Amino acid sequence: MSTLDIIFQQLVNGLILGSFYSLVALGYSMVYGIIKLLNFAHGDIYMVGSFVGLILLGLLSPFLGAGWAGILVAMIISMILVGLLGVFIQRIAYVPMLSAPRLSILITALAVSMVLYNFVMSMTSGEYKAFPVDLGYEGLEFGHVFITYTQIILVSSTALLMTVLHFFINKTMLGKAMRAISIDQDACRLMGINVNSIIALTFFVGSALACAAGVMAGVYYGSIHFFMGFLIGLKAFTAAVIGGIGSIPGAVLGGLILGLLESFGTQLPFIGSEWKDVFAFGILILLLLFKPTGLLGKTEIERM
Amino acid sequence: MFKKSLLMMVSAALAVVLAAGTGLAAGEVKVGIMIPTTGGTATDGKDMESAIKLAADEINAAGGLLGKTIVTTTGDDACDPQQAVAAASKLISEGVVGVVGGYCSSATLPTLALYGEAKVPFVITASNSTALVGANPGIGFMINSTGDAQADTAVGLFESLGVKSVAIVHMGEAYSEDLAKISRSKWEAKGNKVVAYEVVNKGEQDFSSLVTTLKAKNPDAIFWTAYYAEGALLIKQLRQAGYRGKIAIGDGSNSPKLIEIAGRAAEGVYCFSNPIVDYLPAAKGFAENFKKKYNVAPGPYSTLSYDGMMLFADAVKRAGSFDKAAVAKALKATKDYQGIAGPISFTDKLTLARSNFVVLNVKDQKWQLHK
Repeated sequence: MSTLDIIFQQLVNGLILGSFYSLVALGYSMVYGIIKLLNFAHGDIYMVGSFVGLILLGLLSPFLGAGWAGILVAMIISMILVGLLGVFIQRIAYVPMLSAPRLSILITALAVSMVLYNFVMSMTSGEYKAFPVDLGYEGLEFGHVFITYTQIILVSSTALLMTVLHFFINKTMLGKAMRAISIDQDACRLMGINVNSIIALTFFVGSALACAAGVMAGVYYGSIHFFMGFLIGLKAFTAAVIGGIGSIPGAVLGGLILGLLESFGTQLPFIGSEWKDVFAFGILILLLLFKPTGLLGKTEIERM
Repeated sequence: MFKKSLLMMVSAALAVVLAAGTGLAAGEVKVGIMIPTTGGTATDGKDMESAIKLAADEINAAGGLLGKTIVTTTGDDACDPQQAVAAASKLISEGVVGVVGGYCSSATLPTLALYGEAKVPFVITASNSTALVGANPGIGFMINSTGDAQADTAVGLFESLGVKSVAIVHMGEAYSEDLAKISRSKWEAKGNKVVAYEVVNKGEQDFSSLVTTLKAKNPDAIFWTAYYAEGALLIKQLRQAGYRGKIAIGDGSNSPKLIEIAGRAAEGVYCFSNPIVDYLPAAKGFAENFKKKYNVAPGPYSTLSYDGMMLFADAVKRAGSFDKAAVAKALKATKDYQGIAGPISFTDKLTLARSNFVVLNVKDQKWQLHK
């Protein structure tokens, strides 16, 4: 492989990694934008999503097979279920805390995270679970650069989900309501917007996206376990901060940048792949120090 | 007359007491078993005990040892150094002619001095820390491979496959880093090349950038020294990226789960394993007898434990007596004893001369013995 090949291959690697980060980062950013909560349970929603997907795939595969049709249906149903789980969590854990100090609700989020992963841990006795799909290794080869069809489908479905979200937020009344709430909740109430149900909707959408990422990760990597949400939760948070937390295009951009940085970071001389996380979190620290608003999060008013 | 009968009674009582002291009738000989029968490692310990007893029964059924019946006595070391010292003292005071067993290295370690003082030969069937080698006063015979034997097995496999360049990947914790380090130095000592020596983080799912690095260096073989969870993902991603070289994994990855996760990417992967019944053609009869007698399948160290007892008996026969020094000498002189877990000879440090790691290969989604 020539240097150019390696650069292209790492570009592909970075984009795939980045699209997972982006999907999870979106939920972080949306929730932060609307109620200023850093939802640390978000990574665990991703994890729960992949387990729900695994169970549904097991139930559906006798009818639809373990191919793309089965995966698609399983993913859509689990997105709805996990979206509802997000709303449920918001109702029982966050709504009672909305008027409490910011720190209390942050600690509640950590507690929710622990409840979720401990629950899954006890249900699976901490074991790794294999995803019963085999999507084949076929793909396109450009010189030494290799892209599987699975990777192409993965990145395009991520792009599709993001486009739908973009239209939902910018072109629909509900989206408009979300944007309005992120600016001024009290004014929204006075205008007759049902603030609570819009917040619930935000949780629904954010959780559903994380679930989509979780199912896709299960399908792509082939194994899932109860603690897989922890690291990606932190990475997605980093991505959201890079892009400017609260900003939707920022979350997408931040995720992609983080994925690319991790891929290329390990190519620097004398830096092995074990430095991947050091890279990600080093950037988080630098950003928090020098540009806490992130790349696209400058405008305080457009906080959605 | 009265005095005489009293004397007889007293001497008879004394004889009974003495016999009870060693607990032996004439024509019996006592062999000690030292394993944990309580605590967290009791399952493996009891399994070893069963295997040793099975061996003793078979020897007795075939006419005994030098005309005597073997009686076993068990000392529970509880995988604890203090308990182990008590267990060893108990065995020695019972007058055992030899001891078979030894599971936790930390528990086996302090007993070596005691057995050394009493000159009791001790066939160590599972404990394999290199710490035991230095502390051995010349009575401990280790029939399980020590840590770095796996690296020898790996180097041997790569050479037999005609591999020239190797990449080694570990996970940065004690076990896998050790294996990686030893393998690297042994491989390089033979004048071969290690083209990449990489570390991954525990719990990682995406190895794509590492895979690209490895693919660019194009090694003939990649050796993963850590556990199955990350190993399965790495194997899958290597094959997905089109890497076509050989892949080998250490015994920490020896799990059916690896094949389940990696799917057909696992096909052809080599794995090093301790001698487990499933992969030992010679142990088939043993496994059947074990199952018949105990109604469970033999566990991980059962074959070595069985071999330990059989080897001890073999050494007694070669020595021609139960004299401890003579038996120890015969054990030391063991040359290619054919155990069910593999041939046994000792180095001058009394460790197993030839690595007993077996090489497995995934064929049709199952681990199978290589060669």
